Amino acid sequence: MIDVVALEKRFGSVAAVNGVTFTAGDGRVTGLLGPNGAGKTTTLRMLYGVMRPNAGTISVDGIDAARQPLAAQARVGVLPDVYGLYPRLTAREHIRYFGELQGLDKATLAERTEELFELLDMKHIADRRAAGYSHGERTKVALARALVHRPQNVLLDEPTNGLDVMSTRAVREIVRKLRAEGRCVLFSSHVMQEVSALCDSILVVAGGRVVAHGSPDELRELGGHENLEDAFVALSGTAAGRAQ
Amino acid sequence: MRLPGAWRQAVVVLVKEFVDSCRDKRALVSVLLTVLIGPVITGFMMNRIADRQRAAEEVRIPIAGAQNAPALVEWLRQQSGVEVAPAPAAPELAVKSQDEYVVAIIPPDFAERFRASKPATIKLVADSARADTFPQVDRVRRLFAQYNAQIGSLRLVGRGVSPAVASPVVVQEVEVSTTQQRAARLLAVIPLMILLAAFTGAMQIATDSTAGERERGSLEALLINPVPRSALAVGKTMAAAVTAMIAVTLTAAICAALLRFIPLQEMGMRFRFGAQHFAGMIAAVLPMCLVTAAMQTCVATMARSFKEAQSYMGILILAPMLVGVLGTLYPIDNQPWMFGVPMLGQYVLLSSVLGGRAPSPLAFIGAAVSCVIVAMLLVRVTVALFRDERIIFGR
Repeated sequence: MIDVVALEKRFGSVAAVNGVTFTAGDGRVTGLLGPNGAGKTTTLRMLYGVMRPNAGTISVDGIDAARQPLAAQARVGVLPDVYGLYPRLTAREHIRYFGELQGLDKATLAERTEELFELLDMKHIADRRAAGYSHGERTKVALARALVHRPQNVLLDEPTNGLDVMSTRAVREIVRKLRAEGRCVLFSSHVMQEVSALCDSILVVAGGRVVAHGSPDELRELGGHENLEDAFVALSGTAAGRAQ
Repeated sequence: MRLPGAWRQAVVVLVKEFVDSCRDKRALVSVLLTVLIGPVITGFMMNRIADRQRAAEEVRIPIAGAQNAPALVEWLRQQSGVEVAPAPAAPELAVKSQDEYVVAIIPPDFAERFRASKPATIKLVADSARADTFPQVDRVRRLFAQYNAQIGSLRLVGRGVSPAVASPVVVQEVEVSTTQQRAARLLAVIPLMILLAAFTGAMQIATDSTAGERERGSLEALLINPVPRSALAVGKTMAAAVTAMIAVTLTAAICAALLRFIPLQEMGMRFRFGAQHFAGMIAAVLPMCLVTAAMQTCVATMARSFKEAQSYMGILILAPMLVGVLGTLYPIDNQPWMFGVPMLGQYVLLSSVLGGRAPSPLAFIGAAVSCVIVAMLLVRVTVALFRDERIIFGR
């Protein structure tokens, strides 16, 4: 479970995140929906501990991320915006590197690696170097790396960006599986269908603020539109107006 | 959940960076080449000097018309290291085509003019454009001059004149650049090459694991893991240090092999390279690899891009060059404080070891301790950089 209260992040005079508050519960899929530059990635970066907030608190499974950053980080698995694979390492080595950094012992790591290969259907690329991977294959390696330590909380930054239909389905499948296991899944997207198909609750972010939140149905009502996309445009549009 | 130990994580980072960079074939080859090329060139030059020295002592003089001056030819034969040979049919052609480096031609009227005490000509065919045979030609020239002086003195004595009258001025040459010194100067290059290896060896990992990591976008993914930034900085620095140590050991081993192979004795050097010298070289330089690795990792972390990092590396490598050049220009006398300065200390230690003067164990320990302290300070700076969001996200 992730609890965020009054989160703020400024870059110089620009407030990228300006008072975000929300709770992402266990066994639920929470979507961060917003246009480009709304502050989604910055919010996630603070959640997974590579950026420090200027104000506000983050707690991961009850652990204060400001006080115990490493303990909080150990409880999240992340598919970042940029995967940053090492071209000269194989899929297996990528998983091993992150697993070892997470402190897994050899036996657990070996077992978990096989499990992930099975889950993500990536046995055929297990011992191939990343330099020649397709985008879908790279996503699988990055996902496997994120899940190697069985994190209770999974953060996905635009996970289906640029993926083909088959890979997108695979990602959705995994998100549903994680939810069924009772994990807290938080993912960001600017793609409406994605969010409405997967999420239990949606946070609409614009101008560094949460402008609306609720289930897809609730949001449709809130925006006064039958279509979620129209609702989104109405909601984020007013927010952008307010921010200026 | 148990958090993994920071040291263990540092080792994980070290191993990954090392494996990763070993797979970069092109970088590996370029490092190997830079490590190899210095010692190989030096060895080649040392060998040339030794060869030339040997060659100048033993000259072979093809003489055309030897029957015209049997006394001269007999005198030449009696000089040590001189071999008189029959001349080729076309002397000038033979020299031009480099079959012979010198041919002496004694014309038929030599005996007649010699007997009449008139200057008798000897033609010396040589190619002054060939620098490599200069010592031999010079020796031949000096041999004839020597004969000339001897006969001249004898004639003066025969006429009741002191030979001293004919030598109003005696030129005494003081040769500064003896073969011995030239060889010694080449030997002085070895410490510099070893210092350079400590830089070139660490360079690849230092840049690729910091500026390169950020440019690929893999730094953010790495920082998601529950790893203290200090473990990252230490792991990356140590990976660079390990490759620097490998490069240094390799360079030292090649230099050692060359020194055993080159006949130093023939160049008048009494130095005999042994295992204790090799051990001394390694003990002197390995601690410095920590400094070079830490320095390069720190600077490369500061750089905004891989290219920028590489250009900084080019500047950093001037430091050991400066020490080496100053060392050859101004012979450094061992002051105790020098051991405390990384690079300078190692240079002095290496020069002492190669000079056959073993420094005290205290000097080795002092130099190593100062290296460790400087490296630790540099790693601290790197850790601070890794904590800076502007550095991580390259703003």
